[in-house]
Formats: sequence, C-alpha cells, structure tokens
Amino acid sequence: MTKHRGLRFDPRAKLLLLVLCALCATMAPSLTYELGLVLLTAALGLICGQWRYALMGLLFYAVIFGLTEAALAGSSTTLKTTLIAFLGLFHKVYPCGFLAGIVIATTKVSEFLTAMRQIRVPNTITIPMAVMLRYLPAVREDWRLIQDAMRLRDVPLHLKGLVTQPVMTVECLYVPMMMSASRTADELSIASVTRGIENPADRTCLTRIQLGLRDVLAIVCFTAYFAAGRFL
Amino acid sequence: MANETYLNKKGLTVKDLVTTGIFSALLWLTMLIGGLPLAPNPVTTFYMPLSSALLGGPVFLLMVAKVPKRGPIFIAGTLAAIIWFVTGMHWAMDLGYFLGGLIGECLAGLKRYRSVRVNIVSYICLSLGCTGSYLCYFADPVSWSSYMLNGGTAADYINTMNATAQSWMPVVIIAGTITVAAFSGWVGSKLLKKQFEKAGITA
Repeated sequence: MTKHRGLRFDPRAKLLLLVLCALCATMAPSLTYELGLVLLTAALGLICGQWRYALMGLLFYAVIFGLTEAALAGSSTTLKTTLIAFLGLFHKVYPCGFLAGIVIATTKVSEFLTAMRQIRVPNTITIPMAVMLRYLPAVREDWRLIQDAMRLRDVPLHLKGLVTQPVMTVECLYVPMMMSASRTADELSIASVTRGIENPADRTCLTRIQLGLRDVLAIVCFTAYFAAGRFL
Repeated sequence: MANETYLNKKGLTVKDLVTTGIFSALLWLTMLIGGLPLAPNPVTTFYMPLSSALLGGPVFLLMVAKVPKRGPIFIAGTLAAIIWFVTGMHWAMDLGYFLGGLIGECLAGLKRYRSVRVNIVSYICLSLGCTGSYLCYFADPVSWSSYMLNGGTAADYINTMNATAQSWMPVVIIAGTITVAAFSGWVGSKLLKKQFEKAGITA
C-alpha cells in the first residue's frame, strides 16, 4: 500500500463537508465570507496533504477575487452586468469545486462505494455508480481506437467533416462507441456476477472506514462557519 | 439461488444495472463534452444547458431500448446528480437532474418504455435538469449577486439587472434546451432504427 501524506478523512464526512460547503456558498452574505470559505477549504486541503493543489487553488481564487473587486469598481454598466452575473455563478461554484477537487484526490473509489453502502444507499444506485466510475477511463481508450478506425476509412474527424457530411460523421462516432459500450456491459456483468456482486453480505474494504475525532472536528468547523454566516 | 432473488425484486438484474451504469457514464460524458465549450465564457455560460443536451439523445434512447424497465432513467439522473454534486457543481443543477430523471422515468413508464416519442420527451425532461442553476439565478438575480456588493448595492446595477434584456433569457434557455434535446432525440431515434435495432442489441 502506498503511504499517504496528511490526515485521512472518512468519505462520509467528506460528503457532509461538501453539503455544508454548498450551503455556505449559496447563503454567503458577503464576498469576504466567500474568501473565508475558500481559505477554510484550503486549510483542509493542507491538512489532507494536498499542498500544491490547495496553494494553487487559493492563488487562483485570489486573482478572481481581485478581478471581481475591479469589475465592481468599474463604471461601464453593461459590461458590469454581464461580468457580475458570470462572476456570481463563479463565486457560488468555486468553493464547492475546490473542495470537490480535494475530496476526489484523497478518496479511492472502493472507499467511496463502501461509504455509500454504509449510509444505506441501495444497490440499484451503488452498482451502476461503481460501473460508471470504472468505465469512464475506458471511454478514452475506445475514443482513440475509433479515431484510428475513422482515419483508416478516410472519414475526416473535424468540424468541417461534421458540416459537410453530418450523417456519416455522427454514425461513425456513435455506432462504434455504443456498440462497444453494450458489449462491455455484457462482459462486465458476467465478470461481476462471477466475482460475487450479488452477494447479499456486507461489503468489506481493505481501508478501515470509521468516523473519528478528526472528522467530527472538520464537520464542527464547517458547521460553525455556516452558522457564523447566518447569525453574525 | 436465494441470492439471486434479492436483486430481482424490482425487476432489474445485475446485467441491467451494469448496462445502466455504462450508459450513464456515456450520458454524463456527452453532457460534459457538450457543456465545456460554453461554460467558462461569461456571455455564453447561460446557454450551457443547450449544448450539453445536444449529444446525449442517441445514448439515452439506446439505454432505454436496452433496459425497458422501471429504473434506468431515474438511476441515470440520480448518478448524474451525484457526480455533478461531488465535482462541485451548483446544487440547483444537481437537484434539477435528480428531478428530471424522476419525471422522465414516470413519463416513459406511462408507455412502458416502448414509445420512442415518449422516450424523447423523457430525455428532454432530463436535459432540462441542467437549467436548474440558471433558473435559480433568474428567479432572484439581485440577491444572487448582492453579496458581492457588500451591502452597498449600486442603484444602476439593480436597474439594469431588473429592466434590461435579462427577462427573455430564461425563456430562451428553456425553449432552446427543449428544441436541442428534441433534435438530439430525433437523431437518436434514426440511429436506433437504422443501426442498433438491425444489429439486435436492443432488448
């Protein structure tokens, strides 16, 4: 097993932190509060051992923060309106996206699935989700093969081809992609049944998943920050 | 054999679940690839739901054709919502996909998942989920951005926000998404008829 830098948090705690972060970002009373939220998230990133990501994310946000201040100070009204609408969306999404990056980098798929199982998410959701996460990287490989095949058959794969021969291009993209997807579905279901995915016993995981003091502390921190935004 | 029954209760076998998972992954990718070119630009970001609905139709229709049972549409919507949420998207969009999946499931279920036309409507419902965060913005644009102004809201800003071109935008976004999703579904139905039904990979 590879050694992990920084503290490990429980996947369930991380999901809860994401919810809290979304709440904070949605109900943020001021721009300074958003900055505080991003700082708090960066601190969490540092604790998790994601040094580079946390610092870069913080720096990027600082730049956007400065831009926003500049846009607010500017005089041109139409430009301001467009920019503010967009930046408003950006500021709402950024803290969550930032935290999500940390969560994704520090959580293994198997841990995530075990956590989903522990919060009683039914099999009808967890099995497709496991398959989905497993299949996403495979799509890229399929895509490369399809590109090669198209070049071999002299079907151009760029915008011009899409305009001059739309039907041909669409068929050449979708048909092999979905054929291979449906073949993979058959193979994967056979493989997973032989490996006992239908076993009704509790799923086990090599990494121990347990809510600890650090998880509680992190949740308390974010909850306190949320409450501070509401009532102060 | 006892093990087999617990997944078969609702009629979905492991194979159905795996198929749903794989096609949900493709569906999610089509949303991502479609949405990416427009999302990061301040002017076009509001039309993101249109472009993200453009590519998914064939994938959606083939999924429903392969698993014509209660569940896959709802599962696809829920998975999209969970993945978007975990990647930090706005909560209204996540909720939108969840609800879109739920409504789409109910609609397609009315015709027992066999009517291509109703399935296209169901895809439109799912695609409309993406508009959630924008509708949230248009419902109250002033308070959406007021926190950025630290309380001292400029009067001209509120005026432009309320009065100018903004009011027609939600209509354009919703109508546009419906049109694009319907077009995508139409292409999907043609593909389904021409290729996949002949190849015998639909259920």
